[in-house]
This record gives sequence, C-alpha cells and structure tokens, in this order.
Amino acid sequence: MEMFLSVAVISLIGVAVSALLFKAAIHEAPPATPLNDERLLTLPPRFFVDDRAPQAHTALPIEVLRLQIERHVRLEQAAAEAFRDYPTAEMLQTLTTSPLVH
Amino acid sequence: MAFEQPELLRGLSAEEAQRVTALGTHVRLPSGAELFPLGAPADNLYVVERGRIALTLPMQVRQHEEDVLIEERSPGQAFGWSALIPPHRFTLKATAPLDSEVLAIPRTALFQYFAARPDIAYIVTQNVAEVMGQRLQVFQAMWLREMQRVVELRTQPARGSL
Repeated sequence: MEMFLSVAVISLIGVAVSALLFKAAIHEAPPATPLNDERLLTLPPRFFVDDRAPQAHTALPIEVLRLQIERHVRLEQAAAEAFRDYPTAEMLQTLTTSPLVH
Repeated sequence: MAFEQPELLRGLSAEEAQRVTALGTHVRLPSGAELFPLGAPADNLYVVERGRIALTLPMQVRQHEEDVLIEERSPGQAFGWSALIPPHRFTLKATAPLDSEVLAIPRTALFQYFAARPDIAYIVTQNVAEVMGQRLQVFQAMWLREMQRVVELRTQPARGSL
C-alpha cells in the first residue's frame, strides 16, 4: 500500500512539473518590432520572392501626377498611331517610357 | 491661312478651299483660354490655324476633379465634330495651352453651302470620314492597350508568393 501511494504521489508531482514546463515553453514572447533596413529598399527583388520591406507611399504632388498622365496619353497615342500605320500584334503591345506603366 | 491645306479641305482646289474657309470667322485665344466647355451646344466646327488646342475630359484624381488631356490638335487639324453629329453637344472641353488661333465654321453656314455645292460636300465629307475613322482606330488601339494592362494586373500573382 505504501509503495502504491509513493508511486501515485511521484506520478502526480511528475505531471505537475511537466505541466509547468509545458506552460513555460508555450508562453509567447512579445512580437519583435520589424526593422526596415534602408539598404534593403535599394536591392532588386529576388527571383521568386519579393521580400523587400514595402516602401512608404510617397504622395506625388497633384501637378506632377497630372503631367505624368498627360505624358502617358501622348506616348500611348503615338504608340496607337504607329499601330494604325503598321497593324501587327507586336505593334499593338509596343512598350512606352510612360512612368505610369512601370 | 498660315498652313498649307487643312485636313478638312484636302482635295479641294485653292479657290474652293477659300470659299469654305470664308464661311468661318477667326477666333484668337490667349494662352489658357477656354474655347468651349464640356456639354456646350456644338454649333461650330473648328480648324486650328495657329498654336495648339487641348481637348480634355474631367477625371477624379485624389478626390479632385482634374481636366485630363485626351487629344491635342495642331495647325491644319480640325476638331469639334460634335457640330456635325446630333445631338450637337461637345463631348470634350477645348482650351488653348498657348496663344492660338482657330477658324470657327458655323454648322448652318456649312450645311447651306453643302446643299448648294454637293460636289464640295462630297469631298469634305470624305475627309471627315477619313479623319474620324483614323481617330477611331487610334482610340481602339489605346483602349486595348489599357485593357491589356488591366488584365495583366488582374492575373499577376500576389507579391511575395511563389
């Protein structure tokens, strides 16, 4: 009987210790604040994954944006006129230097 | 006029072209002046004689309405086709980005002349059809190029995924 009680007590202690260790193991550390390395922004994206930190959205002045749109329209019109003169599938997809499509 | 032969009058003799241009009046536009707003009654057909005319449409850019360039017309080129097509309302806004001069030909005077001279009307109408057809082709191509980009944006994989 004494031996049975001893085994039972030791088992309970073992379970309690295991529970404490388990709880300590799964305790989540506070998430670290991600650091954006400025140098990474200048690197080209890797072949499969673009893992660079996202760049902050820089709002262009509205006048600059309007000029970019006008430049885009002129370049697109020139490309479309070139297609009209020589209509082929390749001419239809000619790339322009418009900043709005790059 | 300061240019050789406007696209509208191509194929006419100098004398015939002179008679058509005599139907119109010369309008001087200082830099930044508006010739007609969007939706205005279209009673005149225009030919650019000097400078440049910007044809724009309003676009919402960052919650602001901005006039965005759709087409530019240079000396010799005609614009304001809405004067010839019912319901005779301008579907673009016309402004002069620099000091310009245009010839404004009233629709009523032009149609009266055409009724009296169907041979001239035939040539001018052919020119109108040619110019409008070419611009339609250009705009079809521009529309498809933009649609191609929309399709590419819709079908490209999400950034950061394989």
